[in-house]
Parts: sequence; C-alpha cells; structure tokens
Amino acid sequence: MSTAAPQHDAAAEPLPRPHRPGLRSLLIMVRAEARMVVRDPAGLITPLGLPLLILLTSASSASRAVLIEGRTALDLFVMPLVMVMVLTFIGVLNMPSFLAYYRRSGILRRLAVTPASPMMVLVAQVIVSILQSVLGIGLALAVAAIVFEVKPPLHLGAAVGVLVLCAAAMYSAGMIVAAIAPTPSAAVAIGLVGFLGLGALGGMFGGRDALPDPVAEIGAHLPFGAGVDALSAAWAGQSVDAGSLLSLVLTLVLGLVIALALFRWE
Amino acid sequence: MTTQSFESPAVQVEDLAKRYRDVLAVDAVSLSVGAGETLGILGANGAGKTTTVEMIAGLRRPDGGSVSVMGMDPTRDRARVRQVLGVQLQEGYLHGALTVNELLTLYRSFYPDPRPYTELLDLVELTSKADERFEKLSGGQRQRVSVALALAGRPRVLILDELTTGLDPVARRRMWRSIEQLQSEGVTILLVSHAMDEVSRLCDRIVLLEGGRVLTTGTPAEVVAEAGTATLEDAFVALTGQELPEMEVFE
Repeated sequence: MSTAAPQHDAAAEPLPRPHRPGLRSLLIMVRAEARMVVRDPAGLITPLGLPLLILLTSASSASRAVLIEGRTALDLFVMPLVMVMVLTFIGVLNMPSFLAYYRRSGILRRLAVTPASPMMVLVAQVIVSILQSVLGIGLALAVAAIVFEVKPPLHLGAAVGVLVLCAAAMYSAGMIVAAIAPTPSAAVAIGLVGFLGLGALGGMFGGRDALPDPVAEIGAHLPFGAGVDALSAAWAGQSVDAGSLLSLVLTLVLGLVIALALFRWE
Repeated sequence: MTTQSFESPAVQVEDLAKRYRDVLAVDAVSLSVGAGETLGILGANGAGKTTTVEMIAGLRRPDGGSVSVMGMDPTRDRARVRQVLGVQLQEGYLHGALTVNELLTLYRSFYPDPRPYTELLDLVELTSKADERFEKLSGGQRQRVSVALALAGRPRVLILDELTTGLDPVARRRMWRSIEQLQSEGVTILLVSHAMDEVSRLCDRIVLLEGGRVLTTGTPAEVVAEAGTATLEDAFVALTGQELPEMEVFE
C-alpha cells in the first residue's frame, strides 16, 4: 500500500497527522462545563440544597438511640438515604437534562465538526457532575457531623466503594434517560419519573417497611434500594449483601449497553 | 480572476446522493473546488444546499457518490479531515454562558497549532467583545464568533452556511471583509448563500442547485450570460423559476 501514489495534490500539501485533543483539552472543557453550571446557579442549588433539606427534615425526627457500636438510626438509615438520593438526583435527572439540552441546542453537533469527539463532552459532563455530587454529599456530611454528631461508617472503605458503585450505576441509568429523551423537557419528565419511582420503591418516602411486601422486595433490587441497603450495611460494619451489589453492577452494565445502543448526538 | 487557475481540487464531490425517506434531497451532485477558490452554493430552500455541505463536512453519510476533502474521505478519515476543515454551521449554537474568550480557548484547545487569539478576534473584529458572554451578543456578533471558532485550527478549507442571513447591512459588510482576508490567505471556501450580492462579491464560481440536482455552474458572469439576464438575482429567478427565498426587504 505504501507505494501507491498519493491521490490528493491540493497545493501538494502533506496529509495532516491525525490529532486528537488530549488531556489539556479535556481539562479546558471541564472548566468550561463547570463555568456553565456555576453561571446558572439554579441548577447547582438542587444538588447542594436537596440533600441538606432531606437531612434537616429527617435528622431531627430520627431516633438517637444507639443501635450498633455507637451508631444511631440517623447514621444507619438517614445518612445512606440522603447520599443515595443525591446520586440518583444528579445521575438520573440533572446530568441527562443537561445533555438533552446540549443535543437540542446543537452544541454537540457543532463540536462534531471539530477534532474533539463528542465523547469528550460526555466525559467532561460526567466529571463536572461527579464534582457536584461530591460537593453535595460533602456538605451534607459536614452539617451532619457538626450539627447532628453523625459518626462515620464502621466499614469506611466499603462505604466509599459502595458510594462509587452507586454513583456509577445512577449515571448509567441517567445515560438511558439522556439517550432516549428527544428534548430537554422530556429528559426532565423521564428523569423525574425515574428519580421518584426509584426513590419511592427504594424507601425515600418513609422507608420500605411501609410498602407492601412484593413492592418492597422489588424496591430492594432496584438501584436506589440496593444502594441504601449496601451503604447501611457498611455503616453498621456488617458485610454488604451480594444481591445489593449485583443489582448495582447490573444497573451499571445494562445502562451502558442500552444507552450506547440508543444514543444520538443529534 | 480566471477560472482555470485552480488545478488541483481541494474539494471534489462526485455523484453525491442523499435520501430522506422517500425524498431524494441530493441527487447526483458533482462539484469541485480548486485550492484557494471560493465556490458559492446557491438554490432555493430545500434545494439540497445544506445537506450537500453537511456531507462534505462529514456530518451526514452519503447514500451514494464520493466526497474528498484535500484528498481525504470526511467520514472514513474523520480525524484528519477535521484538522484541515473549518465549519460554520447554519444555526450553530454554543455554550451560551461562556464568554467569547472562553469559547475561543475551548475551541483552540482542539488543534495542535491554533491561530492566536488576538488574530482571531481581529479577523472578525470582536476584540472589544472578548469578555462578553456569548448569550449577551447580538445576532451579527454571534455569527462572527461562530466564524472565529471555525478558523481556530487554521483550516485550509472552510464551509460557511448562511454566513450573513439575518445580519444588518453593516454587519454583512464587516463579515465580507473578514472573508476577503481569508481569501487573500489562500483558504478554500464553500459558501452557501441566498444573498446574490454576497455571492457576486465573494465567489469565483457558483453552483446552482434545484431539487437536489445541479442546475448550472460557472462564474457569476457566465451564469448571468447563460440566463440572458442583467443581474445574478434575475438569473437565479429565471433559471429556477422561483422568487428569491427569505429575502427580507427593509423599507
């Protein structure tokens, strides 16, 4: 093949080397995406404010009776719920609506004619989104520790691991929303149904005990309930149920497969 | 300008076809643009202009025929073509909350040897708006930002789709000056336009499309002569049998 004469002779220029924007470009894009979020602070208030609000309303009523090794109901049940809520909200509702807006407005299309792969936009979005989650969870944790004397998980490493897995699963579920939503408002609608549905079955409204048994059983296997259970177990120093982890991993894999199959840049 | 001075085509399109469901949007379109030449692509709404340049830009995959940009296939050799091709899309939206400077920083970062800031701002006469957010700019200023971003990677081939549609006369003239600057640098340009004064002023040759097919091609003077009319505008109407689309008249 190398002996074939070059077919182009436009101004006899050499072929340009294929060039993909690198890490520096990704960082600039992350900064640009972060600026977009900060300059539209309404979008930031929810991931930061919501967990705090949930924490404040549920923490005051949570029992202070010690259940396991100095951990109270607040530690074991309310804190996992708050964290999973933040992740679900940002992953299933917040990130997809941003992406849908990007698709609708043609920003992705504009980037598609540059050497930047639209995939880079996606990675930048997820990074910025993770930063928001970390901020929201950090804020809730700080307030919980200072005001409500919340104690750290007995299995700290396991708790962090579960949190990361849970975040990945929720973003993955959110990618399905982003993939199928034709418009930003559709993304909000689907995301909201997803968030409330997963949340309701997962015990967001007063615990899964209040649900009919079969429904509670389903909820335990959906990512919200599974995430809360796994995080609770880590907090209490118990071994995390394999079923919960499986559910999170399955959500992660299914979400990616479905989203990749259905995703459209335009 | 003579027509035969462009020997090695920078863009070569042969027998291009694109079908949307039952409609043949582009049908056997062939055209070629010499290095450093400016080709105007004209036609009524729905003539297939945008679809044609979108296939040249690699945004749409042709159903038939071939496209070559500087000897490369835009869909197969995507990464390379994007190094030499700058595109200003019709209705190109951007990150609205970013400033002109921030947008330039972002788009410049995509290329190994980007054009310097000050040059880009100078070229589109936007230096005074560098710290303004994109969403706060007027239509003409936004359009100029869009062109500046298309130039960030020092493209050898530039696609401009509806460059001055919706701009006031002052903004249009400013834009034309920028394009003439690029022409003097030897950039090959494909200009999709409705505006006959713009085409007469900027284009070496034109291709007139109708119903997805090439109706005629030649220098503006040749096309006027072929139609036997006084102006390019009259030639357009005579050849397509249509009124000029979307031309707003300010009275």
